[in-house]
Amino acid sequence: MNWWTSLSKQDTTHERLLGVLLLTLLTLAITFVLPPVADSQLAGGAAIAIVILGLSWLTGWSGQISLGNSGFMAVGAYAAGIWAHHHSTTPLIFTFVLAVVVGGFSGLIVAIPSTRLRGPYLAGMTLAFSAAVTPLAQNFTSVTGGEGGIFMNSLVTPKWFTHFFSGQNAAISANAQWTADLAIVTAGVAFFFMANLFHSRSGRAMRLVRDNDVAAELMGVNLARTRSMAFVVSAAFAGLGGALYSLLEASVRPETFPLTLSITLLTLMVLGGIGTLSGAVIGGIIYSFSANLVAHVNSLTGVNPTSNLGANMQGIIFGVLLILTMLFAPRGLVSLTNPIRRLLRARPHRATANEVD
Amino acid sequence: MTTFLSSSFMHNIFGGLAQGVIYSLVALSLVIIWQSTHVLNFAQGAMAMFATYIGMTEIDRGVGYWWCVIISVVVGMALGGATERVLIRPLYGKPEINPIVVMVGFLGVLEALAAAIWTSTTRNITEPFSQIYFQSNGHLVFLSSFVIFQILLAIGIMLFMAGLFRFTKLGLQLRASALAPEVSRLLGVRVSRMLTIGWILSAGVGAIAAVIIASGSFGLFPTNMDGIFVAGFIAAAVGGLESPIGAVAGGLTIGLAEQFILAYWSPNVAPLGGIIILVIALMIRPQGLFTKNSSRRV
Amino acid sequence: MLKGRLRRSITLLSVSALTLGIATTGLIVGSASAASTPGVTASSITIGASVPLSGIAASYASVSASANAVFKFINAKGGINGRKIRYIRLDDCYDLASYGLGCTAGTSVTTLSQNQVLVAQDHVFATVGSLGTAAQESVKSYLKQNGVPQLFVNSGSSAWDAPRNYPNLFGFQASYQAEGKIFAKYIKAHYAGKTVGFIGQNDDFGANGFLGLKDGGLSISTANHLSYNAADAITGSSSDIQTDVGTLAANGVQVVVLDSVPGFTSGILSVAKALSYSPKWIISSVGSDPTSVNNVGEANAITLDSWPSVTNNSDPWIPWLRKVLLADKTDFPSFTKTSIITGNELYGAGYAVAFAEALKAEGRNVTRGGFIQKLKSMTLDTPAITPLRYSATNHQGLMGGALATITPNGTKPPVKATESNTTVYSTGNSKGSPITSTKKLDVTPIPSWLK
Repeated sequence: MNWWTSLSKQDTTHERLLGVLLLTLLTLAITFVLPPVADSQLAGGAAIAIVILGLSWLTGWSGQISLGNSGFMAVGAYAAGIWAHHHSTTPLIFTFVLAVVVGGFSGLIVAIPSTRLRGPYLAGMTLAFSAAVTPLAQNFTSVTGGEGGIFMNSLVTPKWFTHFFSGQNAAISANAQWTADLAIVTAGVAFFFMANLFHSRSGRAMRLVRDNDVAAELMGVNLARTRSMAFVVSAAFAGLGGALYSLLEASVRPETFPLTLSITLLTLMVLGGIGTLSGAVIGGIIYSFSANLVAHVNSLTGVNPTSNLGANMQGIIFGVLLILTMLFAPRGLVSLTNPIRRLLRARPHRATANEVD
Repeated sequence: MTTFLSSSFMHNIFGGLAQGVIYSLVALSLVIIWQSTHVLNFAQGAMAMFATYIGMTEIDRGVGYWWCVIISVVVGMALGGATERVLIRPLYGKPEINPIVVMVGFLGVLEALAAAIWTSTTRNITEPFSQIYFQSNGHLVFLSSFVIFQILLAIGIMLFMAGLFRFTKLGLQLRASALAPEVSRLLGVRVSRMLTIGWILSAGVGAIAAVIIASGSFGLFPTNMDGIFVAGFIAAAVGGLESPIGAVAGGLTIGLAEQFILAYWSPNVAPLGGIIILVIALMIRPQGLFTKNSSRRV
Repeated sequence: MLKGRLRRSITLLSVSALTLGIATTGLIVGSASAASTPGVTASSITIGASVPLSGIAASYASVSASANAVFKFINAKGGINGRKIRYIRLDDCYDLASYGLGCTAGTSVTTLSQNQVLVAQDHVFATVGSLGTAAQESVKSYLKQNGVPQLFVNSGSSAWDAPRNYPNLFGFQASYQAEGKIFAKYIKAHYAGKTVGFIGQNDDFGANGFLGLKDGGLSISTANHLSYNAADAITGSSSDIQTDVGTLAANGVQVVVLDSVPGFTSGILSVAKALSYSPKWIISSVGSDPTSVNNVGEANAITLDSWPSVTNNSDPWIPWLRKVLLADKTDFPSFTKTSIITGNELYGAGYAVAFAEALKAEGRNVTRGGFIQKLKSMTLDTPAITPLRYSATNHQGLMGGALATITPNGTKPPVKATESNTTVYSTGNSKGSPITSTKKLDVTPIPSWLK
């Protein structure tokens, strides 16, 4: 078990890079084996994982609860969409950077009134922000395309990639897989950045502000600035995830990012584990394959999937899961394996900067 | 007189008040819970919706409208008490995010369960009062019997709650338990019971708001309280979660703001009314406009 | 330090090798045999559609059900050139699954995800008769990229008429704009001098409909140009209706054009009735189904209809469709000899017949390109009362219809046009110009192989 534990300790940038690289490569490999529909689902999950990562940073590390991340996703998505609408041949990188910058900026705007707020008031402010997104998008039609939204062209699969595929449905498989691989690589890059943030001085400062803001202030940490930066980073990640998500959907409309999505993000983050990289991965996977999971449960329990009960199984299952997780495993589903992991460790457990306490 | 009453200005006043009293009810219910247990009940709207379904579907079996209202309120109150006991009690002393997340999960379950049991198709309850606007001399006055009923009922409930808290022994005990639980316990107040009662009362108020919404043109469907909850929450935050009067004032203000924005800017942007007011209010006073305590300083 | 680096390198190398191995295996396993047309085998052809089978727009489910009934009828006679047609209909709840509202498809379903299933899993030859303007707009790029023809889109938007950018995309019904222009012409001819008002949905539907009216030369004052929120249609709220109808009533408008979906049509008519306001109603074909109108007992409202009157048994298509629906006990279990055929059922049968005819004309060797060519070069014989003709520059579909009165008749609500004396209007393009009219209904004979 030695090489694995040393890998997960991730004490240096190199080790973090290696870890993220391996995870990314493994996931890419999996896309080659999965059927095209599953690849498309995985792609969506990758986008959501990026957003959960940002939310984890904000809620887990800086202790600020936010229901506004669907709003930040929308900002990034519309930024990407509006740009793509007018300049359809921009390289993807540029669109993503644009989404990150615009998203981060919107985080700053929300942060200004929010950093003085605590608990429920902060939740209320962020809730109001994400509730505002749909009406704003519907109204400023000349910019956002109004109710109809903006439609983008599907991502183009390069010729060299298509050559790997043959057979009747080569193009379809190639397209689905290219999109998924693009999404996963983007997520990999995002994860690498976040892994570094977790271990940086900002990360430690944020945890101090979260746990004991009086002490932090005494030590010279600027509370408002630290909290604002948390919002900016979280919004930047959400903007990237939102842009990727809408590129996968090839459209962005006012209904694409409703308030309920913020709640879903919260749910997935909690299930995965607040404030951890693995939590974001798990949240993304759950998002990707929740429909398959629910279909499985339906067939196990003999429920007709098109009946009222069957169609709403997902909501019921996730709601119940969330309640149970919060009551009995507030560190996320991963923490349920903690006793097993401790048993497997050869040496005594050492607390490191990697773990959120 | 009739021209004044049917003017577009009065149209907006009536419309804003009608919607505003609903927000005030929801805000009030949130404040009651916050004051007693310091929990933000995200499932407030959904609980009220669920209770309304249980009550209102009895109409299909021939039960009278008013009996259904009573059933809805009673069921709502029971649901509130049960929620406090089962879901919230284990979380006292834990980080404040925990009960928020649990209630969010509960919200999801309730909405999905309602759709599973009663389908998510909108139901229009036969209203007890006509919803057609009054006409005088060929001009529309934007009030209907139903709207008047709505406003009067809401005001009645708010006054009832105010009276309960201020003038009764129960009210005194509730307030004492919220303000100084240790001292109250020493004085013989059953504090944990008071917490449950707080949730019961809050749920009852919420149920009334949901019944009104369901009976109106909005209709009854599993997610019908979502937008109302957001506005009610914003109203409570604007007024300050410590202050019932603030909640009521906040609700009315937001209702009016939304209506005027709808009329003078665009219907799409109406939900922004609450948000604009929230931003302004919280920038002036982060703890809410009506809160008496000053913010924590070290 | 060296040991650590060595360990890391070995880990990286082995995982990369593992990755490459899995990838190669995946590619090898995934490859199929010789290239051929997707969805086409020796004995069958598979097509699909994403349609609202449940949810807010579930009343449109009978459109694709009727098309399916036609396909089943054809299959019972041996299929087309020896191939049976397999029509897969997936529920996308009008692309609003997450709104609930009676949807039973599951909350994570979207039009895109259902079309991905059709294309990447079911390998359909084409999508036929998918429904919804926004829904189908959201997938047109995906379908184009994967080379899947998007045929007979069930929506009145003129977005389907874009032959240069989307050569494999075809609409089916007259555009909202063309309909508006035809209404304008009719109003100017029969209601000259009267004040005209408009209530429309505040999206593409209402906006284009109004544009058509304006293009047709009608002048509607801003005070009488009203709308209701499309999103309200989804949640069931109707506060806009009272305001809109009240305003028109107060302004004494004499002719009102409605571009509204069925639920809102009946809402508007009931409010008007309660206010004792009875202008001449002219209702878009989208929301003029007789049930919505008859619920309110509104007499003599007018609509644009591209289909024959369902009580006209001298039109051979009517008894033929009755035969087809009677034979389909699965999707039409309660359909009897005296049941009323609805506009939805005619519509579905219309595009099913068009598809079958083009397929038959292609013969045994079926390719996507060949099929599209046939579509653009043939005149298709359908039950519609105007011809269905596509070309290199026109992918819209039906180009007009007749103005017909919707008569309330208790529970028997046929759209009745006096066939012998009807003016059928046609437009030259999806923008609605120019308008031509003829006194002749296009009653085409039924092809012998279809009888």
